[in-house]
Amino acid sequence: MLGYLGRCLAHLMVTVAGIVTVAFFLMRAIPGDPAQYMLGDYATQESLAALRAQLGLDRSLVEQYLLFVARAVQGDLGTSVATGQAALTEIIDSLPASLALAFSGLFVAVALGVPSGIAAAVRQGTWLDVAIMLVALGGISFPVFWLGLAAILLFSHKLGIFPALGSSSDAGWLTSLHHLALPALVLGFSVAAYIARLTRSAMLEVLNQDYVRVARAMGIPDRRVVYRLALRNALVPILAVIGVTFAWSLGNAILIEAVFSRPGVGSTMLKAILARDYQLVQAGVLALATGVVLTNTLLDILYGVIDPRLRAA
Amino acid sequence: MADRHDRDGHLTRRHLLALAGAAGAGAALPLDFSKVVLAQGAGKTLRVRMGSDISVLDPSHIFQIENQTVCGHVFNGLMKYDQSTNKIVPDLALSHTVSSDGTVYTFKLRPGIAFHKNYGPLTADDVKFSFDRVLDPKGGSKYTGQLAGLVKTEAPAPDTVVLTLDKPASGFMHKLTAFNQGWIVSKKAIEEMGEKAKLNPIGTGPFTFEKWSTGSEVRLAANKAYFEGAPKFDELLLRIIKEETAAAIALEKGEIDIFYALQQPEMIDRLGKAPNIKVLSRDANHTINLVLNTTIKPLDNPLVRRAMAHAMNRKGLIDGFFKGTKGMGHSVLTSSFAEFTDDVPRYEYDPEKAKALLKEAGVTGFKFEITSVGLSPFDRIVVPLAEDLKAVGIEATIKILERGAYTQARNSGNVQSCITGVVGPPDPDSPLVTLYAKKSFPPGLNTARYEGAEDLLAKAAGAKGDTDRAAAYKAVLQKVMADVPVIPLYADKLFLAHTSKVEGLVQNSLFTVFTYPASLKG
Repeated sequence: MLGYLGRCLAHLMVTVAGIVTVAFFLMRAIPGDPAQYMLGDYATQESLAALRAQLGLDRSLVEQYLLFVARAVQGDLGTSVATGQAALTEIIDSLPASLALAFSGLFVAVALGVPSGIAAAVRQGTWLDVAIMLVALGGISFPVFWLGLAAILLFSHKLGIFPALGSSSDAGWLTSLHHLALPALVLGFSVAAYIARLTRSAMLEVLNQDYVRVARAMGIPDRRVVYRLALRNALVPILAVIGVTFAWSLGNAILIEAVFSRPGVGSTMLKAILARDYQLVQAGVLALATGVVLTNTLLDILYGVIDPRLRAA
Repeated sequence: MADRHDRDGHLTRRHLLALAGAAGAGAALPLDFSKVVLAQGAGKTLRVRMGSDISVLDPSHIFQIENQTVCGHVFNGLMKYDQSTNKIVPDLALSHTVSSDGTVYTFKLRPGIAFHKNYGPLTADDVKFSFDRVLDPKGGSKYTGQLAGLVKTEAPAPDTVVLTLDKPASGFMHKLTAFNQGWIVSKKAIEEMGEKAKLNPIGTGPFTFEKWSTGSEVRLAANKAYFEGAPKFDELLLRIIKEETAAAIALEKGEIDIFYALQQPEMIDRLGKAPNIKVLSRDANHTINLVLNTTIKPLDNPLVRRAMAHAMNRKGLIDGFFKGTKGMGHSVLTSSFAEFTDDVPRYEYDPEKAKALLKEAGVTGFKFEITSVGLSPFDRIVVPLAEDLKAVGIEATIKILERGAYTQARNSGNVQSCITGVVGPPDPDSPLVTLYAKKSFPPGLNTARYEGAEDLLAKAAGAKGDTDRAAAYKAVLQKVMADVPVIPLYADKLFLAHTSKVEGLVQNSLFTVFTYPASLKG
C-alpha cells in the first residue's frame, strides 16, 4: 500500500510539474505582455523598456523559466505584476469561494444525478425514464452561463427567492449560504445531467448481468437486488465520472462565477490571463492542477476500496 | 420496508433520499437573509456596481476605470475638474500664480490637510515627490509623457510648490488635476510600503481605502476629517458584478444602489422604464475612432480617406446598432471639452460621393483590413462598416484580436487600421496629442503615423488666454478633419442608473463615478 501511495505521489508531482511548465511557455507564446497591458494607450518605447526591465521580462525565456523553477521549489511563486501581492496568496484567498461552489455543486449533482439515474434504469422504458432523460438532455445541452442567467431571471427577478448576486457582502454564514444556493443549484444541475445518464447506463449494464438475473430468480427482494448487488457494482464508473466532473465543475465555475458575480480561482485566473499576469496564472494553474490530480489520485484509491479486484492490480 | 436501515452500512435508497431531501431543503429556503443582517448593521453603506476587479491603485501606474473610480475617492490633486462643468478649480491648492513668461507655476497648499491612517500632514514635499516619481524614467510610469516639459519641481516651503516648464504650455493645468498622474500621494507611505503601496493607497480624499476582497468587493470608509466636510454616508462598498443583466436585477431588487458605466442599449432602456430607478446620461470625453495608417498606399491619399469617411453610414450605426445611445462624432473632441467646436469639415453618409472621390484619386478598389479588439461592441460595429466600404468597391476584411494580442498589434504599428478611443479627462491634448502628434507614433496611439498638424499642435500648446487657445484648437481640428487620418465613428455617451434612495449624485464625463456628493435617503 505504501509503495502504491508513493507511486501515486510521484505521478502527481510529475503531472503537476508538466502542466505548470506547459502553462509557463504557453502564456509567453501568446501575443502581448503585462507591460503592454499596463501601459496600454500611453506606451512609449522608453516606458515599455523600463517596465519590462522592472518586471524581469527583458531576460531570456529560459532564464525566466529557470528563475521560476528555482523560486517555485522554495514555495515562492512570485508576485502578481498588477497588484504586487504574492501570487500564491491571491490564489489561496480566492480558493475557499471556489471550493465552496465546486463542492456544493457536486453535492447537488450527486444528490440529483445518482437517484434519478437509478430510477430511470429500474423503470427503463417507462414515462419516468423518458422524463428524467429528457430533463438530463436539457441539462447537458444548455450552456451553464445560459442556465445561470435564466435562473437569475426566474428565481431572483420573477420569484424573488434568491439574491441575484452569488456572493454576499455580509459575513454571516446563513446569508452566504443563501447567496451560494442558486449558483450551486445551476452548477449541480448541469453536472447532475451527466451523472444521471451515466448512472442509468451503468445500472442497466449491471442489471442485465447473469448474477442479477439469478438473484432475482432466487426470489431476493427487488430493492435488495438494486441497491446491494447492482448499485455497488455500478459505482466504479459513476465514481470515475464524478472525479472527471469535479475537474469539469472547477472549469465551469469560471462561467458560474462570472454570471453570479462570485469571487473564485476561475475569475482570478481569467483576470490574470487577460492581463498577462504571468505569475498569477502560474500560481493558479499550479493550484488547479494539484486539485484535479489530487482528486483523481484519491478516487484511484477509493476504487480499490469499492472494488477489491482493482486493489490487486 | 422503506425505513429499514441496512445494518451493513451499505448505501440504501433511504440514504439517497435523505441526501436529495437535504439538497432540496437547502435550495428552497424562501427567506431573504440579507435583510436580517442589514437591519443589524450600523451606519449607512452606499453600494456601487463595478464591472471588473481592481488591480493597481498607484497613481503613477494606474489604468482602467475601476482603479480610477477607487482612487478618485481616495486621492486629491492640486486642482480638480468641477464634476458638472469640467472647469478646473482648486483642490489641494489654495491659490496659484503663473510667471509672466508662462513657465513657472507657484502653488500655495491648503493648510491643515492630513493623509489617511496617520501618515502625517500633506506638505509640498509630498507634491514634489508625486510628480518626481512619474517623471523618473526608471519608474516605468505610464504618465511620464503627460508631464513632459516639466523640468523642475521644488518645495521651497512646506506649503509652497514651484513647478517650472521648459516652455509655456496652455494646457499644463490639465495635467495637475485630480486624475492619474495628478493625484498626490504620501511620500512617507510610498517609501515605507514599497510594492505593497500598489494596493494600499494613502491619500487625502473623502474616503479611506479599507479592504479589498479579490474578485468580490472593495470597501472604503468615510474620512470624517475630510477638508470639504465628511461624506454623507459611512461606507462605500464597490461590488464586482461582471454581468450587466445580473447588475440590473440587483439594482432593481435594491441589492446595489448605483450602476455606472452602463453599456447595453437594452439595459439602458429597461432600467429607464423601471420604477424607483433613475437613469442619468452625459456625453463622454471620448469618441471611438477608425485610425487609418497613412503610410501605406492608397491610404496615404487624403482623397481616399475622405472617401472612406463618406462611405460609412455612421448615423445608421448609431440609430440602428446603438439605438440612439451614442452621438455623432464630427471630430475627436466631444461637447464636454471647453475647446469643442462643430465648425469642422464633415463627412455625411454619401456612397456616390465616396465613389467619385475614389475615382478622382485614381483608385479603383483596394484591399483593406480593419483590426479590432474582441470586446463588445468593438468586434461587432466593424461588420456593418466593412459592408459599407464594400458597397463603394473597397474590399474590406475584418480581423478581431483578443485584447492582449490587439494591444501588441497596435503597439507595433503594423496595422492598416484599428479601432481606438482615447478615454481620459477633458484635456484636449488627451485625444489630440495622443492621436495626431509625432511623439505618439507607435507604440503610442498615433498608428496613423500622421504628422500633418505638428505646427498647429505646438501653437495650441503655446497659446495664451482662452480665446487664443480656442482659436488654436479649432485650427487643429479643422486641419485633422480635412486630412482625416482618424475617422470618428461615434461620440460615446455615459449612462448611470441609481435607485431613488440615492440623492445628489452628479455624473461626470469620465467613465468613473464619484459618490462623495451623494447621500442615501432613509
